[in-house]
This record gives sequence, C-alpha cells and structure tokens, in this order.
Amino acid sequence: MKAPFSPYLTAIAPGLQELIRLLSGRYEYVSVLSTDSVGFHVTISQRSKSVSNETMTTERGTVVRVYKNGLYSEASFNRFDPAHPEQKAKEIGEELDRQFSLLEEAKVPVYETGVLDDEPETLLVEMETGRLPEDEDIGRLIENLSAVSDEGMKRGEHLLDCSASAQSTHISKLFLTKCRDLRQSYVYSEGSVVCTGSRDGRTEMGREGVSGRVGPELFDDLSHVLDEAFKDLNELLSAERVTPGEYDIITAPDVTGLIAHEAFGHGVEMDMFVKGRALGADYIGKRVGSDRVTMHEGALCAVDVTSYAFDDEGTPAGDVTEIENGILKTGICDALSALRLGGKPTGNGKRENFEHKVYTRMTNTLFDSGTDTLEAMIASVQHGYLLQGIASGMEDPKHWGIQCIIEKGYEILDGKLTGKVVAPVVMTGYVPDLLGSVSMVSADRGVFGTGGCGKGHKEWVKVADGGPYLKARGRLG
Amino acid sequence: MLNVILEELKKASPFGWEVTDTQTLGWEFYLIRHRLDQNRVKRVEHIWVKVFEKSGDGQFLGSAAGEIPPTASREEAAKLIAQLQRNAALVKNPAYELNQPSGKTGEPAELPDPAPIAKEFLSVLSRLPETEKADLNSAEIFVSSIRRRLITSEGIDVCSVYPSSMLEAVLNARQDGHEIELYRMYESGACDGEETLRRLTETLRFGEDRLKAVPTPALGKADVLFSTDAAAEIYRWFILRMNAALKFRRLSDWEIGQDIAPEATGDKVTVRAVRELPNSSENAAYDGEGAPVRDEVMLENNVPRHFLGSRQFSQYLGLSDSFIPGNYAVSGGTAEEQELRAGDHLEIVEFSDFQVHPVTGDIAGEIRLGYLRRGGKTTVVTGGSVSGSMNDFVNTLRMSKESRQYNNTLIPAATMLKDVTVTGAE
Repeated sequence: MKAPFSPYLTAIAPGLQELIRLLSGRYEYVSVLSTDSVGFHVTISQRSKSVSNETMTTERGTVVRVYKNGLYSEASFNRFDPAHPEQKAKEIGEELDRQFSLLEEAKVPVYETGVLDDEPETLLVEMETGRLPEDEDIGRLIENLSAVSDEGMKRGEHLLDCSASAQSTHISKLFLTKCRDLRQSYVYSEGSVVCTGSRDGRTEMGREGVSGRVGPELFDDLSHVLDEAFKDLNELLSAERVTPGEYDIITAPDVTGLIAHEAFGHGVEMDMFVKGRALGADYIGKRVGSDRVTMHEGALCAVDVTSYAFDDEGTPAGDVTEIENGILKTGICDALSALRLGGKPTGNGKRENFEHKVYTRMTNTLFDSGTDTLEAMIASVQHGYLLQGIASGMEDPKHWGIQCIIEKGYEILDGKLTGKVVAPVVMTGYVPDLLGSVSMVSADRGVFGTGGCGKGHKEWVKVADGGPYLKARGRLG
Repeated sequence: MLNVILEELKKASPFGWEVTDTQTLGWEFYLIRHRLDQNRVKRVEHIWVKVFEKSGDGQFLGSAAGEIPPTASREEAAKLIAQLQRNAALVKNPAYELNQPSGKTGEPAELPDPAPIAKEFLSVLSRLPETEKADLNSAEIFVSSIRRRLITSEGIDVCSVYPSSMLEAVLNARQDGHEIELYRMYESGACDGEETLRRLTETLRFGEDRLKAVPTPALGKADVLFSTDAAAEIYRWFILRMNAALKFRRLSDWEIGQDIAPEATGDKVTVRAVRELPNSSENAAYDGEGAPVRDEVMLENNVPRHFLGSRQFSQYLGLSDSFIPGNYAVSGGTAEEQELRAGDHLEIVEFSDFQVHPVTGDIAGEIRLGYLRRGGKTTVVTGGSVSGSMNDFVNTLRMSKESRQYNNTLIPAATMLKDVTVTGAE
C-alpha cells in the first residue's frame, strides 16, 4: 500500500502558501517546511512494559526560512491557524526584528550568503509500505514482543532480563516556496532485542537490531534477532580484554558502516568546509585510502530508515560517490553551504525536527563491495581480530582521528578463528592510515539503520550505514 | 488546547492521567568566526499526555503516553486520548500508586525574555582573549525560556518557569600552517559570563598546547587525571547505579547498606541529590511526575543509602518518598588538586567522546589532548585511547577536595583513576 500524505498538512497548505505570499513582501526568499509524523514505540521486558506514541522522529510543526540583506533567519512554531496567516506573518516579523535589534546593538556583522534558487517544481511521493503505524494492532504487537521476551528468558538461568522493542514512524513532510510544492510520505521501522545476563559477578548486555523503510510488518518475526542478541550476550560474558596494540583486523559490515560514518561521513559534511573545520576540503582529488576503497553516500544509495525523496530544504535525494578507488572525489552538502562554496546541494540538508536548524547530514553511508570472500580474508590473517557489533563512534573531521567503540572482537590466529572473544574494543587511529591499509573487500554488503547520529554532541537524526567485510590494520585498546 | 484536553480527559475518565504542558520561547544565534551565520527564533508548545488504566483485579496498572499537538481539533484530541486508554489497558505492569499533591507552586508566570541572556553570551564571545595563534572558529548560542506545568488526575498542579541555555564553541589554534581545533559544549540555566569566559580562555590555552603535542606513547597502565567535563561521566556511573529503575531492572547490583568496594584503599565517594545548584538548568521544585524534589544522600562513603527515581520503579523497590533528582553533588576527596598532580600521571583534558557504560562500568575514550608528567617533566600528548572498568577503578579512586560544577552536577575538580590501560598512538 501507499503511505498516504498527511491530511493535516494538506489542509493547512493553502494557509502556508498565503503566509509565504505575505512574508515575501518583506523578505527576498521565503520557504516553509511543515511536518506531521506519527508513530509508536513499544518496549516489553520481564521487568517493565511501555507504550508511547513518540519516536525519535514524531513531530508536528512548521519552520519558516526567510532571507534578507545576505542573512538567512528562521522561525519555528507549532501553532498555526490557516485561516489567519497574517497573524503568524506579523508575529514572525516582530520576533525576528527583536533579534536584529539585539544583534545590531551587539555589533555582530553578517556572514553574507547569496539567495537560494526557486525553480518551479511540484512533487507528491507516497512510498510503499506493508502496514501503517497508526493502524497497527498494538495488542497483537505487545503479544508478539512478550513472546520474544519470554522465549529469551527460557534460554538460560544467567538471563536477568530480555527486552524486545519496536518503533515505527509514518513521516509526512511538506516543503513550499513561492514556486515549489513538494510533498512526501513514507514509513520506516526499527526493532531490537536486548538480552541482559550475569555470570560470575559480571553483567553484560547482548543486543541486535533490525530496520528498514518498511511498516510494522518488520516485527512479525523477531526470532532471528533474539538468536543474535542471545549469542552476543554469551560471547560478551566470556570475553577477555584485548592486549593493546596494532593488529590485522577484519571489520564486519556493521563496523565497516561505523568506519564509513565516522571517517568520510562526518569528514566530508561540507558545512564543516565552510567553517574550515574539515581537513577533507584540502584533499579533494587526492588519495585518502587504498585502491580498494570506494564509498557512496545518499538517500538513494540504499533503502533504509532515511531513504527519503527530498531533504528538509527541498533538494531531491542523491547518490554521491565520495571516494572512488581511494581518491576523495567530493563531499555532501546542504543548500546554504552549497551557495557559500559555489557548488550544488546533494540532498543532505537535514533537521533533527522542525525546531532545529538545517545542517549537512548523512543519510545512507556505504563502502562498496569487492570480490574477496570472508573465508579468504580470515585465512590471510596471522594474528588479528574480526570486529563485530558497534557501541558508538566519534568524528574528528579537523584532524582525521577516529574513535570507534566496538562490542567485541573474535581472535584470529594463523588464519583461523580461535573461539576467543575480546570486549569491548576501542579502535583509534588516523583515517587515511586506516583506509590506506584496506587490503581485502568482501563481495557481500550489509546496511544498518537502527542508530542515531549527532553533530558534535547534539542534533540527533536517523542515519543508516554499512558495507562489506574489510581487511585492514587497526590500533586496538 | 490545554483546556480542551483536560475536558476530554475528564469525559473519557481513565483510571488516572497526567498532562505536561511545556511552552518554550527560544532564541538561537549561529556564528562563523564572529559573523552571524543564521538567527532563529522558536515559540512552541508541547502537551504530553499519559493515561493510566488499572486491571479489574487491581493487580496491574498500565500506562500509555503521547503528545497531542496544540493544533489538534477536539475530535482529534478525543481520538488520541481514546487510543491511549486502549493501549494503557494492554500494558500489564504491577500496580503502583500515583503521586498525590504535596504543596503548591505560584500561578503560572509569563515566559521571561531570553534576550538579556543571549546578549550576555554574545558579550562573552566578543571578550575572548584571542591571539593570532588561537581564536574562535564558530559558536552556537541557544537560549530558552521554558514554562512547564504538570496537572494530574490526583490534583497535582505545579508549574516551573526557568531558563535553559547551551553554548557550543569551537576554538582553533595554529602555527606554521598547522591548525587544530578544540570543541566545547556548556549547558546552564542563564549565562554565567565570567565562568564561561574563564573556561573558554582555558580552552584557548589548551589549543596552543595541542600544537606542541606528540603521539601518546603506549603506556600500558597509567594513573589518569580527569580535570574537565569528562570527569562528570565517571560520576554519572555512580548516579545511575543508584537509580531505582536500574536497580529494579537488575542492572545495578548495589544494595542499601553494603559497601560497593569493601577493599577500597582510595577515597570514598558520597553522592547527594540536591534541590538547587547555582545556575543549573534543573532547579525545579517538583520532578516530572509531581513529586517534590529535596536534598537526599544517595551514596555515602561508598555505601548506598537511597535509591531514587521514578514513582513506578521506586515503589517496586518499596521506596515511598522517592523523586527524580535534577541536580547532584559529589564529594569525598581528601587531597588538594595540586597534590593529585604531584606524581607521574597522564592528565587528559580533551577526549573525542569519553564514555562510561552504566551497566558494565567499562570506560573508553580517544585522547585528543593530554599532559603526560613523568619524572618532573611534562609532555603534551595526543592520540591513543584509555580503557578499563569502573568496577576496578572504584577501589583506588582519588578525588580533589576542590569542586567544579558542570550544569547540574557538582563534582571534584580533579579525579584520578589508577592503572588505566592507555593504548598509545606511536
């Protein structure tokens, strides 16, 4: 079925168009992004159960962007009477004027920027979904998740709890200017199972997740997710500490995705180029990885939680080749940064929600596949680790440092997995060294969309990343 | 809209309900160097409704929560409330009591003007002691005036009005064509101009030092001193282990009256929930469920005294007078800050993202800037990482007597973890 576009947004669109007309009398450019996204989040464990209509991306509200004298300004609100847009136009003008007075008093000069294009375009995209979150039978879902939790508890006396979680969001977004009317609607879902267990005074949490640009049908069978979470828990409970040092590493697709995200995801967000905060700006056309490294980024690169039709500035979704055979080709860009850098936006202008500013953000960030097999990769390692499971990562675009906190590593000795597991594993290093050491790339590929991404320590958005197995050298601690 | 929701809730007549109405007036300024990149204003209202339903036999109390947009029609609000009622009846949590009224707050006040606070942040940035070698790259100023009102079926009607601010600052230092950056994010109530200026000035000095940094050697094990905001993560581990929800969910195995580290030879930690800290953004008189907030000892000299947290999980643990704390104060240090710096150690003042896992106690973080002191000599280092477990470090922890506040957490100004694994960058 098609995910239907929000009736609420359809109803207020004429009022918003009138608001744009009114504001255009005093500003050179006006755009509106209005959102109406609904969903649910259900978590069932042995110890507690919760049901909420809120997910990371549920929202209803509007943000207006205006331009005057080289400056872009924005007003976010979630009260709007489409019958009286003149009230909102007056309120926006007065609020922004108060800010301009303060800025003038404080003698803050403007970082001048050109005006955005407003080419005529009309679009309505309603993407396919199996079911809609707003129609989901929550009672049946609770039963399914309870069954997963109960089954998990039966797997061992060391289990303290088993939690199964499901969230699904129906996104509707409306982007308007004087000449443009873009509407999109799609559903994405994500689920996870967390097994918590204790043995010999040690407590660990094994987790596994699943995601997709699909409806709540994703949760009809989570048994395989439970299997992986339970396996993960048992491995963590018996894990040892890694001896710090540099090793041959093989990254599983989820860890490959984390590297893609932290290395040349954040590293080529071009709003950081504008501020001089990214080393990548000086490396376009230069080698940043081995010949085997090719990387793509864009909402069109994969079908997952952030595969939209257009971004929060009305730019169509893209597919950017960031690195080709080790050479950095370009970055990703929001519309204002593109104006400032003299380039084209790539469909990566995203907001946490209507209350937040647009930044250049990732969508799907992926290493391309190669031709090697995992078996051959393992066989080629004398002493190293197969790294799997991600805890967190942190970008450092200015210095190309990388921090990846990885759940666990499987020891490899003389070309074979020994069965020994180390955890947790902190991988750090210099990005070009890490990518320059990539010597084998598997033919398969995985994409993972259960996580969120911050810019610095805030501005959380949905992203997906992944790739194949990679063999490289890494510093582990 | 609030009145419509209250009317519809009374009509629907669930077992219980809570409505949290939060109104925010926010001003934001984004700067590149000292130029205005963008200005933003937001005026929003979020009405959060939680509905409770009890099972017929009284054994279970379920709840379901969701936001009702202020633009919702009466019909839409009624439909959402009915949906919450249905969902709440499906949730089988063991029964617990809803909070009862205990005192009143004044009449809801108007949202205060964020302009004076925003002006003070702009003033701080204009007064930065920049040089040719070290200056501001960019900054983001967020100032919000917030009014939060909680109304419940049990008769609670409390309101708090408060400022909440955040400054993100990126600072550069450069020499001979080599440029580095340091990142800082400060949260607070209003703007404490002098303290913010002091911290940014200190960061500019760190930036100049980082230009001289060499790769961190592979130290194996080292004593590591934490003297910036990363230290707050260490104490968050203690705070979370004393959280009622984590205790009930078996994610904390600490017990009231039992020393968490009986073999400890270092300083012993005391954590108190405190009603107010100067300029904290969490100085509300009532928590999000309407329970009055007070000063309370949670952990005393490494011995758990009071688990604190939400009404539901607190009651499951048999705690009748619990609340969700907003502010915390940590004490227990026995040494002067300078004494902790006396011996060989690695003082880390900037991480990529220092983390302490609340359940396993594992610590991890990449070193962006550290001072390695060995044999009386100091070397500025960068790169590599720290790892280990708080379950081990708690036995030999050292803390300074002096304190430093990071928004809602007052902690020792310097914290020493002994025998931390330090992976080098050489």
